[in-house]
Amino acid sequence: MARIEVQGVAKQYAEGEGGLALDGIDLAIQDNEFVTLVGRSGCGKTTLLNVIAGLVAPSAGEVRVDGRPVTGPGGGKGMVFQQHALFPWLTALGNIEFGCKSRGVPAGERRAIAAQLIELVGLRGSEAKYPIELSGGMQQRVAIARALALDPEILLMDEPFGALDELTRIEMQDELLRVWSSRKKTVVFVTHSIWEALVLSDRVVVLGGRPGRIRLDLPIDVARPRERTDPRLTGLYGEIWAYLS
Amino acid sequence: MARSGPTSPDRGAARRPPGWLGPGVLAAAVVAWEGAARAGWLVPFYFPAPSRLADTLRELLVVGFPQGVGMGTHIGVTLGRIAQGYALAIALAIPAGLLIGWVPALDRLALPVVTFCRSVATLSLLPLAIAWFGVGELSKVLLIAYACFWVVLANVVAGVKYVDPLLVRAARSLDTGPAGIFLRVALPAALPRAFAGMRVALGVGFMTIVGVEMVGTIQGLGALILEARTFFRSDVTLVGMAVIGLCGLALSTLLERLERLLLPWHRGLESVRR
Amino acid sequence: MSGRRRGDVWLSVAGAAGVILAWEAVARSGAVSPAVFPPPSVALGGSLHRLSPGELGQHVGASLLRIGWGFGIGAGLGVVLGIALGWYRWLAALVGPLVELVRPIPPLAWIPMAIVWFGLGEPSKVFVIFLGAFFPVFTNAYKGMTSIDPVLLRAAQTMGLAGPRLLFQVAIPAAMPDLATGIRVGWGLSFAVVIAAELIAADRGMGFMIMRAREFGDVGVIVFGILLIGTTNLVTDYAIGGVIRRRLGRWHPI
Repeated sequence: MARIEVQGVAKQYAEGEGGLALDGIDLAIQDNEFVTLVGRSGCGKTTLLNVIAGLVAPSAGEVRVDGRPVTGPGGGKGMVFQQHALFPWLTALGNIEFGCKSRGVPAGERRAIAAQLIELVGLRGSEAKYPIELSGGMQQRVAIARALALDPEILLMDEPFGALDELTRIEMQDELLRVWSSRKKTVVFVTHSIWEALVLSDRVVVLGGRPGRIRLDLPIDVARPRERTDPRLTGLYGEIWAYLS
Repeated sequence: MARSGPTSPDRGAARRPPGWLGPGVLAAAVVAWEGAARAGWLVPFYFPAPSRLADTLRELLVVGFPQGVGMGTHIGVTLGRIAQGYALAIALAIPAGLLIGWVPALDRLALPVVTFCRSVATLSLLPLAIAWFGVGELSKVLLIAYACFWVVLANVVAGVKYVDPLLVRAARSLDTGPAGIFLRVALPAALPRAFAGMRVALGVGFMTIVGVEMVGTIQGLGALILEARTFFRSDVTLVGMAVIGLCGLALSTLLERLERLLLPWHRGLESVRR
Repeated sequence: MSGRRRGDVWLSVAGAAGVILAWEAVARSGAVSPAVFPPPSVALGGSLHRLSPGELGQHVGASLLRIGWGFGIGAGLGVVLGIALGWYRWLAALVGPLVELVRPIPPLAWIPMAIVWFGLGEPSKVFVIFLGAFFPVFTNAYKGMTSIDPVLLRAAQTMGLAGPRLLFQVAIPAAMPDLATGIRVGWGLSFAVVIAAELIAADRGMGFMIMRAREFGDVGVIVFGILLIGTTNLVTDYAIGGVIRRRLGRWHPI
């Protein structure tokens, strides 16, 4: 059974044709698979992610995680947003501990989990810093650590590196792969960068049109670690580009 | 020919006015004032010389005006009234604001009342307050409280209402229930706006007390400057005005320091509702 | 969607109606003497009996006239000075400190000196209102000018604009939103100041009307006056807000 099953999902935001954001989405994501949703702005990829996350209820169809229907956010579905969404009044450590505190995990245990994650994302020394004192890349590392603190089975990431400059972005992509390889999770990643999708994922799902539909579901059979200059990736780039135009 | 505003690009440090210009201008103004007074160009009653004002300040500190009521007493009385009214306003406005900001139905319900009460000129309530509570301290404190209350309320409500929905989404994805979201997200997120409101409210309270003290009181800074005029002591009035200004500055600086202490994570300007 | 909007409006109306009805009920219950706590119906009705429309009009007119003058001069000077100081750094360095020195003094604190300089007539009140309007307008105009996105100015300069043309065609429009805020705040403050000034030293105007009513123990007229002031303030503020929204609302997020 697939880890995540999306069946016939549609989302209508407003009356009439123009308000249909998604239509007839069928998708199965296996355990520990890294799937990327790609498409133009407005194609509905973020909407789909929010539906999977349980933040938005679909107008039709349903999403099942481990066979059980999704009714709300949380509960094993960690999320990372494009604008880091860190709580400005909490330190890095405080942010990472937030979810544990919500679950009632005792303080000592919380602290230990957070310390471990700080180490994992390479932010040793920045525990007591406030988000405003961190660079963009560091903020996203905290955001990722925060999502991982509850040890979710699924990680949902909405263009997490979109606000970063190119070099930091490449760095973060490598970071993410490293973290993912040490803590295997099912990842659904949204981006509008085809390159990012090719470097990171096992599978690229291309969404397009209005209403958004799945245009292409492409497995990336290139072993990791992947070279960004690998000609096979270039070829795949061409395929995806053709579907997006 | 070419303009040179603060936003001017490529103007460079060479063109920036020197730092001593500001204090220099002030010093020059004071000297010019003194000179004009000495030369007899200014009528002493309308424009007392700065040297005269210095003497007056000493007199106010030692002897007082009226006799026996020193500057210290006036300041103490005024600040005391502000403090009581302000404290009362905050104690009521914060819980009310949190509630109204969090529950949309309450916000709609309260909207016309809040909007109207904010438009009522606080000092217009003075005669009513006197009619109901007499000429004593209570009516003064209540008026200050009234003026401060609506400002703090509006800002606390806005702070809670306009919590970044992204933060709420993030909290929900972290298994946080509605109570958790209110206590651990909405509340801290509303703090900067609430503080901004409290700063403005203090200024409003200060302005109000000066006016309130001009009606039927002999103690307090507002009373001082008005009484002095009746006795043709415009020098006392001017010194009083300066003291009022300094007190206002001191209070707002105090609040700013407090805010920086309590909210070390927040930086930047906040837009405030009056 | 529209159903919810209508629901909102009804809730607001209910809120207002609820307060008025509660007031009427409590006042009529006799818990407190009606001379001290009149119900709104009595306060309004009685006042309209005791005050002729002509007299009422005279008071409202006097207040508005004072605000008009004071605000006109204060806001006018505030705008001019705020823009000038925001644009010419040297001017800001010279004149700025003087403005900053006077600013902490609340407008009402100027009343005694205003009477010394201008006597008890209209000019002293207009002067105090002028001060009340000046500072918010000036501060916001200055802030608007100094926080213009430098990119806009640079773009205009690459198109050959400089000097006064740059100021009037780019800088001032860019500073408009802040300026508009300042004007709105300044108006509200002028209102508060005029009422206070009329309470303390006047023979006409809405503030004076209330003060006189107190001397006669006429709580009804006091309450009426308070409501009148509040309503006038609301109406004029709404009008100003409307004008601002129409001029700025098309290109600036309100």
